[in-house]
Amino acid sequence: MLFYVARRLAQAVPLVFVIILINFFLIHAAPGDPVFVLLGSMDTTPEFVERVRREFGLDQPLWVQFATYLGKILSLDLGYSLRFQEPVLGLILDRLPATLLLMGTALTVSSVVGILLGAIAARRPYSVTDHASTIVALAGYSMPVFWLGQIMLIVFALHLAWFPTQGMYSLRAPSEGWGRVMDIARHMVLPVITYSVYHLALVYRLTRVKMQETLALDFITTARAKGVPEGRVVFVHALRNAVLPVVTVIGLNFGFMLAGSVLTETVFAWPGMGRLLFDAIGARDYPVLMGLFTVLSLMVIIANVITDVIYAMVDPRVIYR
Amino acid sequence: MFHPSRRAVLAGTSALALGALAGPRARAQAPRRGGSLILALEGEPTSLTSHLATDTPAMMVANNIFNALVLLDEKLQPIPDLAQRWTVSPDGLTYTFELVQNATWHDGKPVTAADVEYTFNEILSKVHPRAGSWWPNVASARATGTHTFVFTLKAPFAPFLTMLGSVLSSGATILPKHIYEGTDPRTNPANARPIGSGAFRFQRWQRGSHIELVRNERYWKPNRPYLDRLVLQVLPDPAARLLAFERGEVDFLHWYIVPYDRVGQMRRDPRFQLLEKGDAAATNGLMLYNHRHQHLRDVRVRQAIAHAINRQTIRDRALFGEGKVAQSHIGSNVAAYFTPDFDYAFDPAKANAMLDEAGLRRGSDGRRFAVRIFWASGRDYEGRGAEIIRDNLRDVGVEATVQVFDRPSFIDRVFRQWDFDLAMQLFTTGPDPTISVTPRYHTRQIQRAPFVNGMGYSNPETDRLFDAEYRETDVPKRAAVWRDIQRNLMRDLPALPLFELPPIHAASAKFGDVVTGPQGYIQSREDAYQR
Repeated sequence: MLFYVARRLAQAVPLVFVIILINFFLIHAAPGDPVFVLLGSMDTTPEFVERVRREFGLDQPLWVQFATYLGKILSLDLGYSLRFQEPVLGLILDRLPATLLLMGTALTVSSVVGILLGAIAARRPYSVTDHASTIVALAGYSMPVFWLGQIMLIVFALHLAWFPTQGMYSLRAPSEGWGRVMDIARHMVLPVITYSVYHLALVYRLTRVKMQETLALDFITTARAKGVPEGRVVFVHALRNAVLPVVTVIGLNFGFMLAGSVLTETVFAWPGMGRLLFDAIGARDYPVLMGLFTVLSLMVIIANVITDVIYAMVDPRVIYR
Repeated sequence: MFHPSRRAVLAGTSALALGALAGPRARAQAPRRGGSLILALEGEPTSLTSHLATDTPAMMVANNIFNALVLLDEKLQPIPDLAQRWTVSPDGLTYTFELVQNATWHDGKPVTAADVEYTFNEILSKVHPRAGSWWPNVASARATGTHTFVFTLKAPFAPFLTMLGSVLSSGATILPKHIYEGTDPRTNPANARPIGSGAFRFQRWQRGSHIELVRNERYWKPNRPYLDRLVLQVLPDPAARLLAFERGEVDFLHWYIVPYDRVGQMRRDPRFQLLEKGDAAATNGLMLYNHRHQHLRDVRVRQAIAHAINRQTIRDRALFGEGKVAQSHIGSNVAAYFTPDFDYAFDPAKANAMLDEAGLRRGSDGRRFAVRIFWASGRDYEGRGAEIIRDNLRDVGVEATVQVFDRPSFIDRVFRQWDFDLAMQLFTTGPDPTISVTPRYHTRQIQRAPFVNGMGYSNPETDRLFDAEYRETDVPKRAAVWRDIQRNLMRDLPALPLFELPPIHAASAKFGDVVTGPQGYIQSREDAYQR
């Protein structure tokens, strides 16, 4: 197993290289000059613009810049942010926990709740409950994140005033220890729901279909005939088989969720990587963009490996060499 | 809406009524100490100092941590900050500043003239983006005593004190020599963990979330500041920002981020106060003309377009009736130099006649020629303005199309590639026109750099006036030169002034004196207090 994981990770190296190559040239193909953004909202002299450009090495030909960048990345140096004048790695690591917290929670909630609801719905297909939940799931599946986020804010934060509108902590009365945990949890409710809805709907729909198929199979009939309790039939016998493709989808969801973090974190002013990415695009902060894309693609690759490992644990038929 | 209890509402309104009745007496009492003020930032600051960039978020933080030599009052006149007194020699060449004796850095060391000398000679003149616009006039800047400091100029420079007092223009807050000496001022870690002499000390910068400042217990100004904490929260999304303000999670929205369509509603809401003052920058919204365009290069065409555009409608519909129609290239609150005498009337018939006269007759389809109007996303009123202009131009047979870009792409198109016809842009015109107007329209400013003469406007006579006016230190005489400059600019039309951006800050009614000076959005909150 360890050998397999190591081999999968080694296979990812050329992939990461290609990702870096494509990202680098795509980002630099976008119009706009980071130096102009950097200098702020007032006028300046072209000499000053040129000087700053020289200092950042932005006057070099693109392929030279790329070679320099690759050289640095091999020594795990993601470079300096043009905008913040600080190491990119530090900026990303500062933001990583907030994103992982939000995303991890949303991924867990959407997966667990989605599978449970799917399993329950499959027991009585085409009933009123099933139709109702299918309609709700379809709606959730097709709702744009930024729109849903706004609606959640207006209803639950502004009108009902149950939750704060934005941020990760209450800034008026900062708290420590357990109070701080509860404070962050309160701030997480709306973004987690917004974040989860799409994936929950996806997992629910898939589980339901797979469960329906599985529940119609002979071994289920046998189990029921043997007098196995219905709960055990559904959640042990059937779910274990039905959940296999769902595991793959959850692994894929991880990548989509990273992409979705840009929208969710911007709407809820969540201080994570998605916001950093959004800001970096606006400022044409090339090193931060490159660093983020590299870290994000590494995370997706690692998530895929983890998915495969989990798959092996769930499905005894899979053998790794 | 936020629903406070009925009792709280009643208590709140009666307190407000009492406050209104008490008026002057209430103001005579010293404001109470304590409380936290939360201000919204439109983006993450690049640093927490003002010497590197001119972005608003950085300035909003830096001005609370640092002091300048002088500041500006509402009439844009210099008032003391670190410099308690100053004298100007009769020839206008020597400026002598006497610093306060009791100012200290947040780490306890005294603030001396050596810090001032180091800040100007080794930091601002070398790394501030705008230093090129005024530093070349300086012959020397040196400390002549522990608390005296002297600037010597090469030639008289009328707006010199205004420049120093306008942190937005010069970035001139004083930095500690002992922290910066022997380091690169661009990458010094103190840029993100600043040590200043100001009313508030740096506490923490939670990246992407907020910056927290706390009261400087040893602040050298007596009884200041009143607040215990200042929190500057990063809220980039306009809709979320507004919700946070309406819910009372943030207490202050500065004027660039107050949406004009909500101003009327906020004005009627007792939970909020609108602070309609404090624009030393006197910002105008303009439409730039590209003087390289085959038709727009003809002054008659530019003037015809000026007559074709209904700027009153732009003010009423794009700015929801806030602000004023701009009548010149200097804003009306730079009162000493502004003149409305060379403005254009809205007159489509005249516009049609002038376009005919310029040889651009309507074709069989009723069209004369085509132009593109560019704007940068982010300021919705510029987009609405562009659409009104498109309709106005179509009425006189000019086929206009509106295109929107994200800001970096827009700046690249307009100010570097010069690839535009008409473009919506904000330009500051104050606190002094030499600082803010000359850099846009002088021939030597036809440069591939942001916010300068990308229009390609060149008039040798205007250049001569620009080159002469700042040596004149007598205000009425200088104003006469600026009258000539405004006549030329309004006649030649490098750009058409559309509206004066109204300075409207929104604050929670719980706080007093949040805005006291002419740079209300970036000023220090040392006078602010919680009621």
